Amino acid sequence: MSVTPSRVPVTVLTGFLGSGKTTLLNRILSEKHGKRIAVIENEFGEVGVDSELVIGAEEELFETNNGCICCTVRGDLIRILGQLMKRRDRFDYILIETTGMADPGPVAQTFFLDDELKGTFQLDAIVTMVDAKHFEQHVDELNEPAEQVAFADLVLLNKTDLVDEAALARIENRIRGINGTAKILRTRNADAPIDKVLNVGAFDLNRALAVDEAFLEPEYPFEWGGVFELVAGDYLLKTAGEHDHHAHEHGHGHHDHDHEHAHDHGHEGHAHEDLELVLLPVAAAGGASLNDAIEPAVRAFALPATVVACHGGLEEIPGHYAVDISHPGADFHLKVTKPGAYALFCEHHPAEFGLKLQGAAIAAERRFASHHHQDDISSIGISDPRPLDPAKLNHWLDYLLKTRGQDIFRMKGVLNVKGEDRRQVFHGVHMMFDAQAERPWGSAPRVSNLVFIGRDLDRAEFEAGFESAVAKS
Amino acid sequence: MPAKQALSFALEPRASLQFDDYVADLAWSSDGAQLAVAGGEGKVALVAAGAEPPSIAVIGGHLLGTLAVAWQPRAARFATAGQDGAVVLWDAEAALELKRWKPSVSATQALAYSPGGEFLATAAGKVVTLWTSGGEKVHSFAPAASTAVALAFDKPGSDLGVALNGELAVHRIEKSRYETRRYKWPAACLTVNFSGNGRFIASGMADGTLHFWNRSTGKDSQMRGFEGKVQLVGWSDNSRYLATCAGNDVVVWDFSGRGPEGTRPIVLSGHTERVDGFAWQPGGEHLVSGGRDWRLALWRPGKTREAIDVQMTDAEISAVRWSPDGKRVAVGEKQGRLGIFDLVAR
Repeated sequence: MSVTPSRVPVTVLTGFLGSGKTTLLNRILSEKHGKRIAVIENEFGEVGVDSELVIGAEEELFETNNGCICCTVRGDLIRILGQLMKRRDRFDYILIETTGMADPGPVAQTFFLDDELKGTFQLDAIVTMVDAKHFEQHVDELNEPAEQVAFADLVLLNKTDLVDEAALARIENRIRGINGTAKILRTRNADAPIDKVLNVGAFDLNRALAVDEAFLEPEYPFEWGGVFELVAGDYLLKTAGEHDHHAHEHGHGHHDHDHEHAHDHGHEGHAHEDLELVLLPVAAAGGASLNDAIEPAVRAFALPATVVACHGGLEEIPGHYAVDISHPGADFHLKVTKPGAYALFCEHHPAEFGLKLQGAAIAAERRFASHHHQDDISSIGISDPRPLDPAKLNHWLDYLLKTRGQDIFRMKGVLNVKGEDRRQVFHGVHMMFDAQAERPWGSAPRVSNLVFIGRDLDRAEFEAGFESAVAKS
Repeated sequence: MPAKQALSFALEPRASLQFDDYVADLAWSSDGAQLAVAGGEGKVALVAAGAEPPSIAVIGGHLLGTLAVAWQPRAARFATAGQDGAVVLWDAEAALELKRWKPSVSATQALAYSPGGEFLATAAGKVVTLWTSGGEKVHSFAPAASTAVALAFDKPGSDLGVALNGELAVHRIEKSRYETRRYKWPAACLTVNFSGNGRFIASGMADGTLHFWNRSTGKDSQMRGFEGKVQLVGWSDNSRYLATCAGNDVVVWDFSGRGPEGTRPIVLSGHTERVDGFAWQPGGEHLVSGGRDWRLALWRPGKTREAIDVQMTDAEISAVRWSPDGKRVAVGEKQGRLGIFDLVAR
């Protein structure tokens, strides 16, 4: 009798004050997309949002159950969205801008926990703005920036023009270390294409769960690998920047090229830093040869590394080296006697240091799952083809949510369940959990892919849990 | 006069008026001749309910939605509150705006007049303020820890109840001392309802429970088993019944004798979708309920669990209100129609 129109999508926009949320909002609102968009703001910033459909909210947390964070919702949103439901001229889209310090958890949970809102609104995605200039400082000093990244489906790395490529690579790596599945988009002045930000469908179980494949791979001791076609000759492996050991010595009048002396000063952020590398000959300068080199590279990384000081040489191929990149513009000599294809694997992504093999073009390259977790918030990915026992799976997830629900911010996955022809898909925020059967596997390889993002997650614990849910054939 | 001794009653459509806004709230004048209407998109309208035929006129509004309306007892004046934060006093005779002000930057969520009509209480965000009926500030209560979502005066007008997250706060307004008594429960209170006999204060909760406190002993009683948030709560005029609703069924608790604890409530089943409005008849024991199933149902819970009459409307019902004499029901619909029904003996 009553008509149920399609649900109105809601994007939650998080990020620190000054990260560019308001700029993005104004860009979205000013574009000619023909949509009626309502904006719910927690704080009225200095820059006003240019729309009359801006509604102020007071960020009020309601605990629906004994003070448990997993059952905390935003009372202000329930009221405001309830009021918006009273409009007969419906909005096409809702944008919720949270304060810089807000926890996105209760915002997302509101859409899972409130029956009224569930029927009318569909959480589309959590978008987190990151200020490239200040992110590293903020994430070291405060909890919120890492949490906001952990909850994100999309991270807009904004103000990229204010930092160099090495910093961007470092920040992206750090973001991936926290949240292995969020998409990262670089923007200068919050200039992300609107269709990349709205209608993302991150919480839509009917859309295939897009999980970064690299993230689901096993963790490697390296984050990057590339192959080069090299002719015989001398090459220079060099990091970005001018080589000047005295750049940070605050105007000492003399020019002392003694490295030890420079190190003695122990300038902050300038501590002795090694980068581990593995060099291997490969069959050809292509992606297939790079993949074939992964196993030998892993073995090589397990062997002791030869320490190479600045201006030193990488004498042998194959070899495992720890090169000293403490100083900007550090360089290392590489002598190639036998022309051919070579693979280079780096502990960290070379872009973080602007590391380049001068005079050589990269024929193929790959990023590998980050193995370094600088932050206590991180992601765990499990990929396994073995079918799961539905009862054991429920038992594991149930136990996991009861014991770790507060620490798990987001989880999502596709499951290969024994005796079930269709993919089982699920996603959750803390203890809130949605699951359903999706399209049939058909001829596609049956494999479970699970991702957990949270605080102090122990990979062994998750792997053991998964193991307990594997069906005994 | 409808025959009071008649065995049964029914609702008879009297008028159907086009309002052209979502009916968010309704308030009758004390004499039942007029009706003020709050529109979810912002319109404010005045209905000449006693006229032949009844008519409706939009007289103003609030930006982004009108949230509440209250009629000043025994006066030709009413107040509205809006998402824009404004409170507006309206002259119902001249159909004009008298005064408009913003108690706070937050939306003004709730309004209540004291039974004697001398005070108007407003809730804007965390701030509850007491005004004279002319809109002069009398007292602003210290901001609460959470947003005030509902307000009610008790029957003598000596206490003002405020529904908050985690408690009901009851401010004594007599003699301007403003002492506050708190009734706590760790969930969001959605309603505040004083029984007419002064014995109880009740609240529907977001955690799917109903709480009522004995005001003299402070004893807290909890009723559970609801389908979800208990959003509608109302005492019958004689304080015998407390009607509650969290879904399709209206659940009525009988406070006669030793009270409802340990007893089974009267469950009024019939709506096939959620009930969004109900009201007890002033001076009687009838209850009307309106739902998303477009049905307006008339009940007499003390006599039967069956609806004694059902009327189909034109859309989902969002608000129902009895006229103060208990002879007429105003029914607001989400698609912008306003129905007036007469209670008739059958």
